[in-house]
Amino acid sequence: MAEELLVGLEIHQQLAIPTKLFCACPPVKSEEFPGKFERRLRPAQSETGHLDPAALFEYSKGKSDLYLWNPESSCLVEADEEPPHPLSAEGLEAALLVAATLKSNCIDEVHVMRKIVIDGSNTGGFQRTAVVGLGGSFDADGERVGVQSITLEEDAARNLGEDGGSRRFALDRLGVALVEIALEPVRGDSAHVGAVALQLGRVLRSTGKAARGLGTIRQDMNVSLGGGRVVEVKGVQKLNLIPKVVEYERRRQSMLRAVAAKLRAKGVRKVACRSMDVTATMARTASPVIKGLVAQGGAVRCISARGLAGLLGWEPEPGVRLGKELAEVARAGSLGGVIHSDEFEKQGVTGPEADALRNAMGCSVEDGLVLVAGRPDSVERVIPVLVSRLEAATEGVPEETRAPTDAGETRYMRPRPGSQRMYPETDIPDIPVPGPLRARVAKAVPEDWESTVRTLESRYSLSSDMALKVYDSDLAAEFVRACGKLRLEPSFVASTLVDLPARLTREGVPEAWCSLPALMAALEAVDGGKAAKEAVPEILRSAGEMGVSVGELLASTGREVLDEAHVAAVVEAVVSRESALIAERGDAAFSPLMGEVMKELRGKADGSLVARMLHQKVSEAAKNAGRSG
Amino acid sequence: MGDLPGYKGRALRFLQAAKASIGDMLEVRTKWGVVTGTLVPRYLYGDGDHVVLKLKSGYNVGLGLDGLDGAAVKAKGEKPSFSPPPPPKSPERLPRVALLGTGGTIASRIDYRTGAVKPAMSESELHSLVPELSGAAKVEAEVMFDILSENVAPRHWGKMAKRVVRAVDEGVDGVVITHGTDTLGYTAAALSFALAGVPVPVVLVGAQRSPDRPSSDAPLNLVAAVSVAGTAKFSGVYVAMHLGESDDKIAFHRGTRVRKNHTSRRDAFVSVGVPLAAVWGRGGLEYVSEGLPPRGGSFSPRPAFAPGAALLKFYPSMPPGAVRSARRLGARIIVVEGTGLGHVSGDVAKELGLFVKSGGVACMTSQCIGGRVDLNVYETGRDLLQAGVVPLDDMLAETALAKAMWVLGTGAKGDRAREMMVHDVAGETTARTFPG
Ligand SMILES: [Zn+2]
Repeated sequence: MAEELLVGLEIHQQLAIPTKLFCACPPVKSEEFPGKFERRLRPAQSETGHLDPAALFEYSKGKSDLYLWNPESSCLVEADEEPPHPLSAEGLEAALLVAATLKSNCIDEVHVMRKIVIDGSNTGGFQRTAVVGLGGSFDADGERVGVQSITLEEDAARNLGEDGGSRRFALDRLGVALVEIALEPVRGDSAHVGAVALQLGRVLRSTGKAARGLGTIRQDMNVSLGGGRVVEVKGVQKLNLIPKVVEYERRRQSMLRAVAAKLRAKGVRKVACRSMDVTATMARTASPVIKGLVAQGGAVRCISARGLAGLLGWEPEPGVRLGKELAEVARAGSLGGVIHSDEFEKQGVTGPEADALRNAMGCSVEDGLVLVAGRPDSVERVIPVLVSRLEAATEGVPEETRAPTDAGETRYMRPRPGSQRMYPETDIPDIPVPGPLRARVAKAVPEDWESTVRTLESRYSLSSDMALKVYDSDLAAEFVRACGKLRLEPSFVASTLVDLPARLTREGVPEAWCSLPALMAALEAVDGGKAAKEAVPEILRSAGEMGVSVGELLASTGREVLDEAHVAAVVEAVVSRESALIAERGDAAFSPLMGEVMKELRGKADGSLVARMLHQKVSEAAKNAGRSG
Repeated sequence: MGDLPGYKGRALRFLQAAKASIGDMLEVRTKWGVVTGTLVPRYLYGDGDHVVLKLKSGYNVGLGLDGLDGAAVKAKGEKPSFSPPPPPKSPERLPRVALLGTGGTIASRIDYRTGAVKPAMSESELHSLVPELSGAAKVEAEVMFDILSENVAPRHWGKMAKRVVRAVDEGVDGVVITHGTDTLGYTAAALSFALAGVPVPVVLVGAQRSPDRPSSDAPLNLVAAVSVAGTAKFSGVYVAMHLGESDDKIAFHRGTRVRKNHTSRRDAFVSVGVPLAAVWGRGGLEYVSEGLPPRGGSFSPRPAFAPGAALLKFYPSMPPGAVRSARRLGARIIVVEGTGLGHVSGDVAKELGLFVKSGGVACMTSQCIGGRVDLNVYETGRDLLQAGVVPLDDMLAETALAKAMWVLGTGAKGDRAREMMVHDVAGETTARTFPG
């Protein structure tokens, strides 16, 4: 039975403005951090006197936050040691332009709020954020997609991971201006969601206010299945992950609903849980994992969960199991994972051991067991989270915040915050949006992006496919500049800028070797007759391997780069020299000969071109040798 | 209309017509559609042309009157009830610490419905915001007054001093006073004189980041102040604030040698010309300076202040009339912040001489902040000495002002007042200056 999957996208786009949103620091990335300080955020209390579950979860981890900073990228404002400066006028104008482009209704007076965030990613314990537009729409994938709101906000500090008891953050990204576009939920068909995100990216780029580069756009996704609870997936950085994440969440959420249905069918209305210390019981276990942890002074606790036997390892859809969810919760709490009763055998927990555990816990074979082992304090903290996760099994999908993995799956991060807690940023006066500013913004609304693509197409005789690729790659400006400066075929320039990096990275070449400056230098070399078109890939490879720039490579070696005819000559020379080897080994002579040829051509010709030619020559020679022999 | 704080002009009339009050759920019709949200108060400096709603998402938006067609109250607001969990019973063995609030709310909570920040000083509120306090001491909290520290005057110092004396009489182990940071240094100096010889620690504490934010320095400052006030082996008046940017160590400064040297940093307070009195880390006191007075001993407080003192900062081209105006305004002691070793222009020096002749006391400190005044090195200095100006050695100008008001509060004048200004009472001057 197909249930409807709904996905609400929230796109966070960095704005291309010269400063951060609330101070004069430039939005640059730092590599070194001469300064550091340590803080501990406290959970903010609700107005009824109780604490937010997400906030409590973070605080209960007992972690302090270490902030690293560099004066080139942050000042006292980011350190929460100086009040914010007035909101950047350029940032506001850029956000208003995005709002106007998306036909959103501009707010008359902008109020900057503090949104409580105490995972350490904001030194103040809150993110400054302001709604600048409500409503709006754009067309994508043949449908009209609704916009809920447009928000101007500051980015969080860059998470550098954990080190011992403290989380580490870099302050360079904190305060960078972002515009957030929250969309109305769309049909969760993975291709459709991907198309909507792609289309919105195109519209944003058309304003000229979208910053470029990896990490300048992030998507949060609110995914719910069949009207169930909403799961928030935070921080999807690559567009091509979106369809995968949607698909994974569909499988995961339907697994959770299937587990709930099974429990209902069994008549289990509440997954009663008990937990106890079983370090003694497991003292002589055969399980290597537990043995190792106990040897390091770890504690072992066991949770019994009513009616869950057989459901912990159940995989109604590929790659999703309740047991996996529990392991993620344990990992979020700094443990290695869990071992549950459906995988006892696999993990080396013997039948008699399982019986002993069941006896000690006083539960039946119908019940699931979950073993947690590790540092006693970590185990202690994770138990209540695991228990609530197990208890939620009857309810299907729990509300939580998840993070995407590189493979397009999602993993547990923390419980979802209660209703967002916001209060006014009293350090920033309310900002009226005056008529002249509105008029200026209205005038700056760009023509729709498709006409930009059509212009590329007609002016440079690109195929419509290539014109779109140039636009999507966000290199249209560079493309136009290169075509103006170089006497090269626009289609060659386009394919070098857009297709070549993708092809090379597929072949395992690091992305950094195909940087924009490297590509441009290679194009200039071709234009100046210093290199053949065909040699561009090899130039990039060689420069990368040698750790020099393309210019340095060409200057230092002094080698001219060969065009196709020269390459053919070298290949033919080697083939005729090694005719004996070809006669002996036939087509299999290709590999050793490729080495020979590349000895002469490395840095001067594209390897794949060489391979193609050599292949042809070798098989011709092999055929000839066969006929004669 | 008490129901619509901050609203005025057209916006007020618009809301009155809709019979709306703060906290109500409103449906406002705009030119482009209906916006639903909770009506929140408007800041006093806001104009009369916008209505501010808090949307369901938590965001506030200001809607211009020009674009509004009308509003309807969808639901009347309900005040949230605040019921924090009760604090755990403190073990009887814990020290008793009086916590006196004077403003500059060190603990507060937010009304997320309207964004208002309310002070939190009841035992259960304090506990729910700073749970560590319950483990540090039995805290007896009292709000004395709730004023911005720039409005603190000598009469408030007098009240604070008397309240501390009463707390000591009642047998507390220590006193903590919460105070806005702007004039915290002046108050610390004033109390140092009024309470000279106090047998328990009296710790003034403030916060550079307001307590409504999760990153506030208030809780840690407060925990350190309370724990040191309750358990330290020394007595006297101190200021407790962050030692650095990190939430790890709290510095304790002597009340007469402390100064706010930065407008916004957590570690804005520094001890001038003396080492820190003590440093507290999460595990307790990590460092205690030598020579701090021990707990106990006799105590004869003089908790009265009189305002007739002025602090004049000399500047190039300062008109000598400035001295005359101070006198006309009632100054009987004038503390001058001179340049360098303690200098003023010839005109001003002459005017100070006239002030002394008329029975006033003129004292010299330096705007250099670090170092001592010395009126023997240059001719201007010798002229000032000749004119009867009293050099105050390395006393901080702010401390000297507080001391002057205290001296006047004791009823001293003329030579007696002059003597008291110079004689060290609470470590306000030091004998030796050290390198570094
Ligand atoms: Zn900055």
